[in-house]
Amino acid sequence: MTQVFSKEGFSSLAGSWLILGLSIVMAGSVVAASQWYLQRERQESGNLAGRLQAARTRLDTAQRERSSLQESVEVFRTLVERGLLQNEHRLDLVEMVNELRARHQLFALDYEISPQRPLTLSGGRAFPSVDVLGSRVRLHVKALHEGDILGFVDDIVNSRQGFYTVDRCHMKRIEEAGGANRALVPHVEAECALEWITLREKRANRPA
Amino acid sequence: MTRHFLYLTNSRLVSLVTRRASIVARREFAVSGAGVEQFERHLAELADVPTYLFTDLSEEDFRLDTIPHVGARDRQAVVTRKLSQIFRNTPFRYAHMQGREAEGRRDDRVIYTAITNPEVMRPWLDVMERLKVPLEGIHSTAVFSAVMLEELDLVFPHTLLVTFTPGDAMRQSYFRDREIKFSRLTPLDVVEGQTLGSMVAEETTRTWQYLDSLRHFTPEDRLEVCILVHENDRPSVQASLRDFAQIQYRLLDMGDVARKLGLKPPPLGSSAEEVLVHLFLMRPAPNHFASPEQRRHATLRRTRRGVVKTSLAIMAASLLWGGFTAWRVTQATSADDKLENQIAALNREYDKVSREMPSFGVGGSTMRDTVTFYDSAIRAFPTLSDFVRPISAVLQAHPNIRLRQLAWQATDDPKAIPALQPNASLQTPPVKAVPHAEGSAAPAAPSKVEEANPPFATGRYEVALLEATVRVGRDDFRVAVDTVETLARQISTVRSFSAEIVESPLDVRSSYGLEGRYGDKQSDSMDLHFVLRVVRDHGAGA
Repeated sequence: MTQVFSKEGFSSLAGSWLILGLSIVMAGSVVAASQWYLQRERQESGNLAGRLQAARTRLDTAQRERSSLQESVEVFRTLVERGLLQNEHRLDLVEMVNELRARHQLFALDYEISPQRPLTLSGGRAFPSVDVLGSRVRLHVKALHEGDILGFVDDIVNSRQGFYTVDRCHMKRIEEAGGANRALVPHVEAECALEWITLREKRANRPA
Repeated sequence: MTRHFLYLTNSRLVSLVTRRASIVARREFAVSGAGVEQFERHLAELADVPTYLFTDLSEEDFRLDTIPHVGARDRQAVVTRKLSQIFRNTPFRYAHMQGREAEGRRDDRVIYTAITNPEVMRPWLDVMERLKVPLEGIHSTAVFSAVMLEELDLVFPHTLLVTFTPGDAMRQSYFRDREIKFSRLTPLDVVEGQTLGSMVAEETTRTWQYLDSLRHFTPEDRLEVCILVHENDRPSVQASLRDFAQIQYRLLDMGDVARKLGLKPPPLGSSAEEVLVHLFLMRPAPNHFASPEQRRHATLRRTRRGVVKTSLAIMAASLLWGGFTAWRVTQATSADDKLENQIAALNREYDKVSREMPSFGVGGSTMRDTVTFYDSAIRAFPTLSDFVRPISAVLQAHPNIRLRQLAWQATDDPKAIPALQPNASLQTPPVKAVPHAEGSAAPAAPSKVEEANPPFATGRYEVALLEATVRVGRDDFRVAVDTVETLARQISTVRSFSAEIVESPLDVRSSYGLEGRYGDKQSDSMDLHFVLRVVRDHGAGA
């Protein structure tokens, strides 16, 4: 070994050492490059796996949504036709109330519609896609019989146009006046309050 | 692998080139005259071939010795000192360890050998040095020839191996129990009237006498003389050999030996160099005489080749690794392609599902929120008529009860109290309860003023206050109270309804005062006022 590390040995083996060094460098380069390439490929595979998972999740969500929407599509169609997602048509309400007044032969009908406002839902509940709006409607009705008032209120609630929830009602028997014709005077009066509910899609509120 | 063997005698130098296990070239050079120059030209063509030099010289001397059995390093020091003492004028010296004595302090047996005249080696080594020939070693033919006896199964207590050299000389090597003890080279100077056989017989007898004089034999010992001879020389040799009690001759036919050792083609004469070279190829032996300095070209050559082989191995390993990695990448790419296809299929399926999604010009979430809100807040919202219908049914069983007013509320608060309007037309009964000054006769009526922006209730509870009168006979308060209590119980039997009396026709609790006022005019009946609080719980009834 002494000869190998002597001056003569170094000069004699210089080419070999150079070849060894070059081969080590080249081998290192080959290994490093191949590892880098493999690593990149694995990373891409990982990204693809993530994309695959995301695509599966997106498809599952869409399928569930489709299934859910298909179940409720009829309901939604009815709601839209009844104007839940439309602006208020107050003239329609005025006409409907007058028509019901005549139908139920009410003696007197006073009503008052407040300005529309966002409704505060119970428990602070909110919906991501729609705003819930309400207009408070107060009615003061006089009728011959309480059945007329109940029918009038039911007809409003079951109206084919608009959604109304009657949440307060006070009915009172009107004490008879002496000597009057009992058939032509109201015997019952009622004060009721209801919400005229409409929904507004939040996307529609965004500026274009 | 190509190797170059040089067989040096006192008159000839034989060059043998081997490839794998066969001798492929042979040349001879004279030791004197132009032999060295011719050899140099010949060697120049084989300058990079590993070279082994076998010496078969008359100047080779042998000495037997024993040394104390010590450690390897000390033994080396002892041997080196002994060699320098015995053969001080030559660098070509070698100590061959031969085991230990059987008795006494069991010293190590050693035989020293050396080429006592280094000048016979000088010209050839100078040529090799000039050409930087990789000299692997200088080997003593006599020492190495022990291998021949082992390979030919010639194992005797006392063996004298007789071989002929290319330079017309005869080598006699004496082995005792496989260990060489003595060797000498005799020129073949056959005088007139003498044959090769008679000369061999004379020389071997002389050697026996010499060894006997050194007390190598006991009277019972017999020396087995093994003579390696070509079949051409065999008749002349065999005719002159006579066995004695102390000497037994064994002729080793060159052809038979070559066949036994696998040497092809067999040598054409009796000289043993080709057999020895073949034996060396079969069983390489360590260097005997060459110094590290003389072997440095071989050392450098081996190192160079080792480094290059290492480089190639590293490159090959890296390429293998690279190939393996490329294969893995290919596998991964193939798997990625499958994943891409799966993703594309999922996206296509997603697009299809999206197209099939029902739409009314709004987003799916809007549809979902709308339906959810309707289902949770509007669809099951209570109505007044649904509330009063079962109560009316109960009241029909009580014709003496007249309902005067109803305050109803759909709320989320089960404790809510709707507001009743005061009724001035009610008849004052002759006996009525008087609340204690500090007591609370009836719940405080809430303000009629409605909130400007009341929260939207889900309507789980429907709460109503019913104000009514019950007609009973004069002073029949017990019937009135029983009737109202019965009415409350009957309402409570309706599913999800509960009723409590807020104001009784006559509150007879001890915490209340009680007063009666009877005037002159008294009717036969009286209408007593009472208030019921009715609650319908849609959560409980659900």
